[in-house]
Amino acid sequence: MLGLKKFLFRGSAPSHLPDDVRASLEVWRTSAPAPLDDLHFHTRYVVVDIVSSGPNPESDRLLGLAASSIWKGAIQPDDTFYVDFSTLDGEGAGVDRQLTAFLLFAAKAPLVTYHIPYVGGFLQRAFKERLGVDFQPQWVDLAWLLPSMFEDKGDTVMPLDHWIDVFGLDAGSGRRDAMANTLLLARICQMMTVRAVGKQVDTAAQLIEESRASSFLRRNH
Amino acid sequence: MTTQQQTGQEQQQAIGQVEMSLRQDGRTRMAGNTQAFLRNHAPFNKMQPDALQRFAEKAKIVFYAAGSEILGPDSGKVRYFYLIESGKVQARQAGEVTVTEYSVLSLSAGESFPIGAVTAGRPSTNLYTAVDDTFCYQLPAEDFLALMASSPEFNLFCTRYIASLLDQSRRQLQLQFSQRASEQQTLNSPLAGIGSRSPITVAPETPLRAALETMSKAGIGSLVIAGEDRKAVGVFTRTDLLDRVVLADLPLSTPVSQAMSANPFMIEEHATAYDAMFAMATHGIRHVLVTDAEGKLTGVVSERDLFSLQRVGLRQIRQSIDGAHNVDALKQAAADVRQLSFNMLAQGVGAEQLTQFISALNDALTRRVIQLNLEKHNFDGIEWAWLAFGSEGRDEQTFSTDQDNGIVFAPPEGASVEALKQRFLAYALDVNNDLDRVGFPLCKGNIMASNPQWCLTLEEWKDQFGSWIRMPQPDALLNATIFFDFRALFGKHELADAMRRHLLAQTASNPMFLRAMAKNALDVEPPLGKIRDFLTDLEPGHPGKIDLKKYGSRIFVDVARIYAMASGVHNTNSIQRLRLAAQRLSIRSDEINAVLEGLNFIQLLRLQHQYLEGEPGTQGDNLIDPDKLNELDRRILKESFRQARKIQTRLKLDYQVQ
Repeated sequence: MLGLKKFLFRGSAPSHLPDDVRASLEVWRTSAPAPLDDLHFHTRYVVVDIVSSGPNPESDRLLGLAASSIWKGAIQPDDTFYVDFSTLDGEGAGVDRQLTAFLLFAAKAPLVTYHIPYVGGFLQRAFKERLGVDFQPQWVDLAWLLPSMFEDKGDTVMPLDHWIDVFGLDAGSGRRDAMANTLLLARICQMMTVRAVGKQVDTAAQLIEESRASSFLRRNH
Repeated sequence: MTTQQQTGQEQQQAIGQVEMSLRQDGRTRMAGNTQAFLRNHAPFNKMQPDALQRFAEKAKIVFYAAGSEILGPDSGKVRYFYLIESGKVQARQAGEVTVTEYSVLSLSAGESFPIGAVTAGRPSTNLYTAVDDTFCYQLPAEDFLALMASSPEFNLFCTRYIASLLDQSRRQLQLQFSQRASEQQTLNSPLAGIGSRSPITVAPETPLRAALETMSKAGIGSLVIAGEDRKAVGVFTRTDLLDRVVLADLPLSTPVSQAMSANPFMIEEHATAYDAMFAMATHGIRHVLVTDAEGKLTGVVSERDLFSLQRVGLRQIRQSIDGAHNVDALKQAAADVRQLSFNMLAQGVGAEQLTQFISALNDALTRRVIQLNLEKHNFDGIEWAWLAFGSEGRDEQTFSTDQDNGIVFAPPEGASVEALKQRFLAYALDVNNDLDRVGFPLCKGNIMASNPQWCLTLEEWKDQFGSWIRMPQPDALLNATIFFDFRALFGKHELADAMRRHLLAQTASNPMFLRAMAKNALDVEPPLGKIRDFLTDLEPGHPGKIDLKKYGSRIFVDVARIYAMASGVHNTNSIQRLRLAAQRLSIRSDEINAVLEGLNFIQLLRLQHQYLEGEPGTQGDNLIDPDKLNELDRRILKESFRQARKIQTRLKLDYQVQ
């Protein structure tokens, strides 16, 4: 069974991939998914944000990615990740290795971001085109979750800056880089999990479910 | 392992390296984000870039929702240093004993906690609660300590903070003292000078309404009812108003004499405050009326008045010492010295000044005893001096100090040394006994001028010092710790100066001696435990206690003596010795100040213990139970012992003692 799976996935990888990337992808594929039934405190959430050349995942380019983890309630400086694809001009085996390194960093943990269609869209396309990987992580979308968790502060999907204002976070002046944005998202996520516990949403699985449900409900009703 | 597998591993390592480097980039970016905050807040804005970077790379970010507890005494040993990024945190004193001035303190962005606890590696004494939604940077304790060790700016910030805690603790101690001091001081003061001198009175026939209006206007709770002859016939209080007027439905036109308590307790103005207190306690009353010899009202003394008495003055004591003509008069003065010392402690005088002050007044007492005895013994034409040794020699006397003294004399040419010595011994015996009666107990080790061993000519003293220095046997070293702290108290000071010059010259030419002294001084270590905070089983017969003299102040005193001798410092006082020696030996002043703070704190605790826990009239000891100290004092005591260990380590290195 395992052999067959390997065979199938390997078959879908683009042939230009260097051997070390193939080997690492294999390690990632066969690694166990992160458990989702632990309490938030014991769950490693990876908060991620990207920089792109425009808003459209189909036509614009992915320029950078910043991620940091929340574990044991804290944003961990020892567990952060930053890549600037523009330095390699978006080409070559260097980018393949950087994307693979992100998969190893994230280690199948639930991913937290703001607005999945944008962040997820760019990542999906990049992983598909470059590595032949169908990137389907367990997403938690703050854009949809915040209105349902903080209905007292805003009940529709709103731009991130609105929430930053509402929570009184210091976003600095001028343009934020991807890491500054990720760290703001991480802080919001910390606040959100405290709220979630108050609503008996105690585990990652429940949070992911809540995220899906709220986006489904809001889109369809 | 096949070649293929090897290649596979290497390939993964290549990706591993990419991952490592991108993680490092992430860490650097996050640190940059944190630094942007740090740069706007003291003390971080003054820190060197590498220290700032270290803080930023290690600081986690945590969130506390409004109302949640961050840290408390029950959270165990503090593992993180917290710096508030945004929000508000309330620090509240836990437990019943207030160890700092504040009971509730509000902290906001840029402020940090719990500095004392994280430095000491102890649980926090405060309960920290988020008042608003709060984000904090959280630096692990080991990184905090590393930062304190490497960043002078951060270290200064933290030590200043801890010093302010020390200050608060000292003030707290003083509060305890002032309460105790005012209680004691009331005992012998005559009532004539206490309380209200012109009490408000009304005549017995005054209607209740008018009497109540008088009380209301003057803002007083009680009224004396007196006739025209100013003889009090009763007292009317607010309690009487309730019981005898309101509940008894008495009309307000009734004369006050019908509602007052008749036959009030009166006491003559020459009686003491103690009598008044005793009367209040016996009769369960809050006021006593004070009268003159004819029974006319002259004042009212309330419970509160007894706590705000005039204090015994320094000048009065000096005058009474200098004017004393017999031992009994000096005995009274000695009691006053004790009392005044307590008051000074209560008024905020630190241990250093206080021990010197006690020594100064004890010197005055001792000098007076010496002078009074010279009326019976005549040494005209002979150069001699009365020497003080040990703590008296160092100006470091606490409340419990016995005698350590000797005599040095220079026999005139042709005189019989032996005959002269006998005369000095007879004189010294009288002085020693009188000092004992005044309140300085005889020395158990017989280190007294009446002992022929310590009543010597200048040449004999020099020989004695010389032989101890040349042959540093254990008892010679022990003697050195007592006798080398000498000071002339009376007589020809030049003799003592000559002894000091000889001593310093001898030690300078015998390096082995100081090394032996150093080895000896390192025999006793501060009682810091590896697992527990304190070792409390060092004194057989006193389990659970620490001898603050033996394991505390003596360590500092011994080190001070050695450095003073090594650097040619003439002073005997340990603090002066350390300060001066530090200058000559180029020891950093902040380092030596921390050491002196440690010594001062231990001395303060000794004084407190001897006063608050000593039985009146007995000699206090130096045995304290660290469990009975409040959290803050325990922490500072631990830090003080660490300072003792630090200065010992320095001595060990300087003298290459294994």
